[in-house]
Amino acid sequence: MLMKRLLGMVVVFSCCTLTAQVSDTLLGMVNEVVVTATKTERKLSNVAVPVTIINQKKIQQAGSVRLNDILQEQTGIYMTNGFGTGVQMQGLNPDYTLILIDGEPLIGRTAGVLDLNRITVGNIKQIEIVKGPSSSLYGSEAMAGVINIITDKPNRNTLNLSARYGSYNTSDINFNGSIRKNKLAYQGFLNNYATDGFSIRPNSVERSIAPIKRFTMQHNLNYYLSDKTNASLNFRINDEKIINIIAVTNNGIVTTSNGIEKNKDHNTTFQLAHRFNSHIKNTSRVYATRYESLQELVTSNGAPYTDYFKQQFGRIENQTDFIINDLLEVNTGVGYIKESANSTRYDKSENTKTNQIGYAFLQTEWKPFTQLTVIAGARFDNNELYAAAFSPKLAVQYKPSSAFNLKASIGRGFKAPDFRQLYLNFTNTAAGGYSVFGTVEAQKIITQLNSIGQIASLENDFYRLGELQPEFSTGINFGGSFNPNKKIQLTFNLFRNNIENLIDNRLVAFRTGGSQIFSYLNLKNAYTEGLETDVQFQFSNTFNINAGYQFLLSGDKDEIKKIEEGKVFTRDENGFSRLMQKSEYVGLPNRSKHMGNLKLQYEKNNAFANIRFIYRSKWAVTDTDGNGLFNTNDAFAKGFVQINTAIGKTIAKKLNLQIGVNNLLNYTDINNLPNMPGRIFYTTITYQFIQKNKK
Amino acid sequence: MKKGIYMIGLIITLASCNKATETATSNNTPTSSITVNNLAADTIIGLTPQGIPFGSGKYSFYSLETNKKITTADSATTKWDIGFRGTSIIINGGNSGPGLGGGFVFIGLYNNLSAVPADSTFKVDNAPSSFAIPAGSNRGWFVYDAINNLVNPIPGRVLMIRTASGKYAKLEILNYYKGGVTPPATASDAIKLSEQRYYTFRYTYQPNGSKNF
Repeated sequence: MLMKRLLGMVVVFSCCTLTAQVSDTLLGMVNEVVVTATKTERKLSNVAVPVTIINQKKIQQAGSVRLNDILQEQTGIYMTNGFGTGVQMQGLNPDYTLILIDGEPLIGRTAGVLDLNRITVGNIKQIEIVKGPSSSLYGSEAMAGVINIITDKPNRNTLNLSARYGSYNTSDINFNGSIRKNKLAYQGFLNNYATDGFSIRPNSVERSIAPIKRFTMQHNLNYYLSDKTNASLNFRINDEKIINIIAVTNNGIVTTSNGIEKNKDHNTTFQLAHRFNSHIKNTSRVYATRYESLQELVTSNGAPYTDYFKQQFGRIENQTDFIINDLLEVNTGVGYIKESANSTRYDKSENTKTNQIGYAFLQTEWKPFTQLTVIAGARFDNNELYAAAFSPKLAVQYKPSSAFNLKASIGRGFKAPDFRQLYLNFTNTAAGGYSVFGTVEAQKIITQLNSIGQIASLENDFYRLGELQPEFSTGINFGGSFNPNKKIQLTFNLFRNNIENLIDNRLVAFRTGGSQIFSYLNLKNAYTEGLETDVQFQFSNTFNINAGYQFLLSGDKDEIKKIEEGKVFTRDENGFSRLMQKSEYVGLPNRSKHMGNLKLQYEKNNAFANIRFIYRSKWAVTDTDGNGLFNTNDAFAKGFVQINTAIGKTIAKKLNLQIGVNNLLNYTDINNLPNMPGRIFYTTITYQFIQKNKK
Repeated sequence: MKKGIYMIGLIITLASCNKATETATSNNTPTSSITVNNLAADTIIGLTPQGIPFGSGKYSFYSLETNKKITTADSATTKWDIGFRGTSIIINGGNSGPGLGGGFVFIGLYNNLSAVPADSTFKVDNAPSSFAIPAGSNRGWFVYDAINNLVNPIPGRVLMIRTASGKYAKLEILNYYKGGVTPPATASDAIKLSEQRYYTFRYTYQPNGSKNF
């Protein structure tokens, strides 16, 4: 009896599997494999956490050049302005998303932001976006999630050249080739990007995007020692040169500074992977990276200004994957990180600040029965400079039928205090002489200043200065996907992130003469929560529609507490103070409640056309009523729609031509979106000299 | 002759007493809320070469009792109760003036404040280290928005004031810009500079010496 039932189930199940595959094929996802979610190769449909994959074709057809171009069109992602272009995911600041290239972290953040303009998309095979805390595998920074850029690997003989030219004298040239002979394979990639930049602000010498030249090259060497062993060496350089004309207006007096900013980025990875047998695979990786930034300016009043920053990061990691049986797989790893930084913004740029981290992680994937996958994992990071972090994660996927799939996960994420928060020693003589000191420096410097009578008063927060703790978050994601037939796929994800110990700066002392001194403290507790959903509709063989939407709420828990206690006020139409209602609270600034996108794609006979709409609702920018938080009485940036469109054609399988227009509506907002140019046009030509040995 | 002078003195004293009593009896309830608009408080007349704005450096004195501006010449008298210079506020008492004045910043709503809270302590000015109404952004009555270079009075801040003659008043600063309207964040620095340091405030004064409003 039981046997019969079981057999019945198997039959039903295999039927479903079959249909699932067919529908997968139609939506073009059958081959999509994701590595970021579990640090092992997994089919996208088998991953228990929310993952988005952007493939090469999508990147090319969107006419993207830099990483931020393609990310800004994805659901639930917003590109922030300030210190470059960063990524806001699940409502969390750019500081809290880990950016990886081929699994290795990129460094060189300014004020927590890693400028995604540094990354060309010319050699990207796919982008994997994992949402929700992933520190259980990746350690620090993976609080909102991880963006992993998988670059092209040499597996066939190819040679491509692509050139794009567009508005503002912007050019982007890619040269990409790979060769494979017997056991050895090589891939080389060159990218050269140049733009004159632009300014949407009339009568300003300062350009919101400065003239930039960027050069990227990447070399990848693979040696297949045997069927079981593979060694690879990867080397990447990114060089950028920015011509700065900076105008600082202080009460109407304009001081211009001219000069050059040079940023260099080097990454080297060596990886050795060996499969002992069908049960054990071992991967060892050594990674070294360096980011160097030098800004040399001369101001109009003759004063030179030099800003230098160098960060180095070295890591050695060993990961072992054990496939114990069909039901159970264990992945385990240990690693050691050494990082260092030098900066003119610290006490002395010759003094190297260092930190060492030792870590270990363990992840088990258990399939008690076919419909259910349970992943449990944890990572422990022991740091030299700050408290240790323990990051567990639990994820479950349940597939009651092939058309339906549910995922739930809960995990902890953390972000370690960075060198800036520990060692900054910066006094801004241009703007009133305020100082910011990292926590390691603050007590020492202020006590010293106090002993020579340079401190007028110490604020309460001075006495709270101590060892900085990592920032923590607990993220819960619940979602799933539904594909009732071959044409429709719906995915959704509900998320909530509770963030503790957020580091913020506070006034800690006044100098004699009134200048303020700030330092960093673990202060805030915040949350973000919302819903993200995507619908794909394959209208016909040639036409498909993609729609995405994110609803987002956020808040600072201490602010909410104050509102509930009746301690927050705003003003009525007469300017008289009145109590602020909780319903007027809008949460964290620079976050839109509604974001959406709609993409229409047509493809036939080697030609395509697409039009993409990206919408963002209003967001809070300034606390104009002076109550210290953001509410409906404050200043908001207007919501807007950006429309991008492109058409392209492939001729004789070798030549691709593409033209496109971004920001078709010519939407600009001088004050709130200074980095967004008006309408731009571009054209791209790609030629494939060699394209054989197709795998 | 001496006697005569005494007599005159006595008459004057009596007369003034009478007048005071009259005012008190006819005005036992506090004044209804008075709004003062556009009180210039050391408006900016120039910039230093470093771009730091400056005015003439003089306080604008105000009498809450008479609802009048008091000239600078009377700065050493008890005629004024409160003085404004830029964002700094002084109260006629302590080392700011010969009066009995003091004050503190109450967190709450002006309209709900029917009396000086029983447990409150009035502070007096002890320039330059401390003031009854604390100086500086986010410490007393205002917050400075450094990004947009604007001064915003913090809502829900009531200045509790003991006047030069020892009476009580409550005062709420409504705006710091000309015409009682803060320039938009996008306004030019020139406008933000020329239109600042104009106080609009409302106050209620209790002439009978009680702490009730």
